[in-house]
Amino acid sequence: MNLFDPAFLSFSLSSLLMLISAILIVWHRSIVYSAFFLSMLGVGNAVLFAMLGFPIIALFHLAVYVGAAVTFILFSVVMLREAPTVEVPTKLLAILSSVLLAVIMINIFSVFNVQPAYTLNYRDLTSLLVDKYWFALIVAALALVTTLIEAITLARKEV
Amino acid sequence: MEVFYYLVVSAVLFALGVYGLLARRNIIRMLLSAEIIFNSALLAFLSLASLDATYVAEGGSVVILAISLSAAEVGVIVSIALMMFRMKRTLDVYELKKFKG
Repeated sequence: MNLFDPAFLSFSLSSLLMLISAILIVWHRSIVYSAFFLSMLGVGNAVLFAMLGFPIIALFHLAVYVGAAVTFILFSVVMLREAPTVEVPTKLLAILSSVLLAVIMINIFSVFNVQPAYTLNYRDLTSLLVDKYWFALIVAALALVTTLIEAITLARKEV
Repeated sequence: MEVFYYLVVSAVLFALGVYGLLARRNIIRMLLSAEIIFNSALLAFLSLASLDATYVAEGGSVVILAISLSAAEVGVIVSIALMMFRMKRTLDVYELKKFKG
């Protein structure tokens, strides 16, 4: 493996960014910073999506997930001025189960030691969304409208 | 890069998310951990979808729908957290027991 290969470099940097962000999301004292690191995780994930051959999904992830969902969390969290919750000391059970999960998943995934073979065709994607998943698309759009109404209601403090 | 490496990143992220979900009591921090799990699931889904021509478009459309629904889900949970904070002045999920009618 060539260490200066652009694909390898982008993969390593994005993965590193994602893993460090994930660690900081869980362990950082401030929730505001944790929410910020979630957006960094989303950016890293979008880079990996693009490298896998799904650039349009990467853009959608950046626009909808990082641009809307994570920003919504970030701005809402700023409204909460709370004394930090007293967390119980690190639970051994939580560490054990997460390590066990990672080991099992990596063992299962070791079968897929092949290069990604296909990239996304936009025409197929749009026709599939419009013809086959049209109802799910309407439900998703309505759910996003619901979020908009929630945000407006929370901002006006009517509840 | 082989798909296996993407899946390893996804597995490690999943484990970190599960740890956060199990070990934290703050509702926002639990939401953020659940979002790590969501991101790892998307990565695994697209990595596996890229292996077969039949599933590339299917995987892409399912991921687009999942991202949209995740945005809605985030809105609902943040609203619950804000309401909880306004009523109880805390974000500790153990306090949620007291919300029972």
